[in-house]
Amino acid sequence: MNRFLAMETLRKWVPLLVLAGLCLFFTAMNPHFLTPRNFARIAISSSPVLMVAIGVTFVILMGSIDLSMEGTVAVCAVLFALTLNALGGSIAGWGWVAIPVALFVGAVMGAVNGLVHVRLRIPSFMASLSLGFVGIGLSLLITGGDRILIDDPLFRSLLTVRVGGFPLMMYAALACLLVAWFIQDHTTTGRNFYAVGGGEDLARASGLNVGRLRIIGFVLAGMFYALGAIFAVARLGIAETETGRNFMFMSITSVVVGGTALRGGEGGVWNTLIGVLIVNVIGNGMVVIGLADYFQDGVLGLLVITAVWLSTDRRSLSFVK
Amino acid sequence: MSFIRKYIEQQTINRRNLLLMSAYGLCGAAVTSAIRPHAARAASSDTQIAWSYRDRTNPYWNAIVSGGNAFVQSLGKPESALINLINQGSSEKSLADIQSLLSRYGSNVALAVDPNDMPNCRPVVEAVSKAQAYASTIWNKTDDLHPWDFGDHYVSHMTWSDVGPSEQTARVLFEAMGGKGGVVHLGGISSNNPAIERLAGFRNALKAYPNIELLAVQAADWDTQKANQVMSGFLTRYDDAIKGVHCASDTMAYGVIEALRAEGIENMPIVSYDGNPQAVDLVTKGKILATVFTNPYWAGGITASLAYYAATGVFKPSAEPKEHREFYGPTTLVTTKDARDFKAKYIDTNPKYDWKNFWALSGGQIQYK
Repeated sequence: MNRFLAMETLRKWVPLLVLAGLCLFFTAMNPHFLTPRNFARIAISSSPVLMVAIGVTFVILMGSIDLSMEGTVAVCAVLFALTLNALGGSIAGWGWVAIPVALFVGAVMGAVNGLVHVRLRIPSFMASLSLGFVGIGLSLLITGGDRILIDDPLFRSLLTVRVGGFPLMMYAALACLLVAWFIQDHTTTGRNFYAVGGGEDLARASGLNVGRLRIIGFVLAGMFYALGAIFAVARLGIAETETGRNFMFMSITSVVVGGTALRGGEGGVWNTLIGVLIVNVIGNGMVVIGLADYFQDGVLGLLVITAVWLSTDRRSLSFVK
Repeated sequence: MSFIRKYIEQQTINRRNLLLMSAYGLCGAAVTSAIRPHAARAASSDTQIAWSYRDRTNPYWNAIVSGGNAFVQSLGKPESALINLINQGSSEKSLADIQSLLSRYGSNVALAVDPNDMPNCRPVVEAVSKAQAYASTIWNKTDDLHPWDFGDHYVSHMTWSDVGPSEQTARVLFEAMGGKGGVVHLGGISSNNPAIERLAGFRNALKAYPNIELLAVQAADWDTQKANQVMSGFLTRYDDAIKGVHCASDTMAYGVIEALRAEGIENMPIVSYDGNPQAVDLVTKGKILATVFTNPYWAGGITASLAYYAATGVFKPSAEPKEHREFYGPTTLVTTKDARDFKAKYIDTNPKYDWKNFWALSGGQIQYK
């Protein structure tokens, strides 16, 4: 029993060990990897995807899945940029309104997603995937395929201004992570996510309004996607339909690699942070050690499978679907 | 996963219904117009003009479509007269859409098309030829397929040779670097023909500059975000050794510029390719030193025009020489010296083109290696 418990504790720390192992490996291959400047670069590429991954963590904790992030990020990014430019182009003036607008749009898209899933009883996989396409179509309709540029130096200071060697964007992302952690651990809603993910029948029998909770989960996810969209725009200064690209793979992979179980009820936002760092360290490290590009996608896939294999106890699973 | 199967079946049925319904609607429209008193029109005005292309998220295809729109307007038709077939990067969809179009309008079709990938060109032009309609293609065609093998129905093919222009941008870059120092290249999707040619041009220029050191070549898949991440990785790996960046497209250059801006590096020499409006703007500001304009607006208009005027009998394709059937599109190098004039002429407004002067900007007959 003791040995089993020790194994359990160890397994909890596996994602962090994987991250440390990867850092050691890349440093051994190229010492430049282990420099504060490189960590700042990894922080920049991690910030937007961390927000999106936190959003989907809530949904995955409930045992559902949300694949609408690419569409939601695209719509939020585009509407954020349009609002910002329409209100004077600077968040120093009325442009700051663009931030709540983006969050509201994210929440509405999440609510639609949740309502379709719960009220129409469509599996979350299909409901969210389809609504993701709707989002991409919508952003295309809004932009007509064009790119919207953001030149506000104050807004771009998220990328350009550094404190302690790291960009402001990273601190903002960490603040959002703390909020997410608070929601997860210190609110009834957060604890109910675990209850539903751990055993929906039990939660339902205890009188929990599971449908309502699911919708709240999707709304919360939508708002974090909106934050991801804002960081993504801050990082490149461009808002377009393509802004959402690749977020689905990056975020779901990060959540799973971080040790949050796809079946729900296990894991959390700190696991997601580790997962996001693992995926971004791999992405950065492969370029830093000069791995030929035709190997990179394959190696990324293999490393992800290894990380997931290490971080989940297969024996405790009665079946894998 | 049975619900996925169900979903796909459902979608197939929906799609079929949609096609049937739209066909029904169009027939209805045709009947209504036929029984109107002033139905007598020249046969040629019935020719439907269609453009089949990848997507609208890309400034390049947007420019192609606006050229197509300008052409239909030159015929006195509204923009809506141009039928847009969007294949979303799927060759199957490209072919299926074209077949639906042909079964609806038969030989009354003038089609401008990028077949999405090279193997798809043959089934597309065979379908068009079988229906006795007319098609002009751009970009994707296998080397063994030629318009003149199809008589009049495969009107023309236009593509762009990127080796020379890419070599020119590389030379601009190397000169700005003072002929020495480390350089990195960010390429497109490795298997794409333009990516291969643009890299080849870059390598050609390297031969003339022995003191330029090639540090790395990496694909960033034409993607701004990926280019941003790759450039950050390069900065870690080579640090100050990087003195210049050669990008195979404008979209990737934007990501590179932002990766450098994050580090406070503002004056790194960068060159790119495609001549998108944003890139030309950056050239006027000196943020990008050179880009190459392939005039997608003209290409979009003239490709539709070739198919249309062949379909309406204004010219007979088989009577034209081979250099009028397979030709290179125009490429213009835009540098900091001429960017302002260039922007005024081609970006802020579109020049008025004579859509009947088909080969005005042709870069000569396509050469096969």
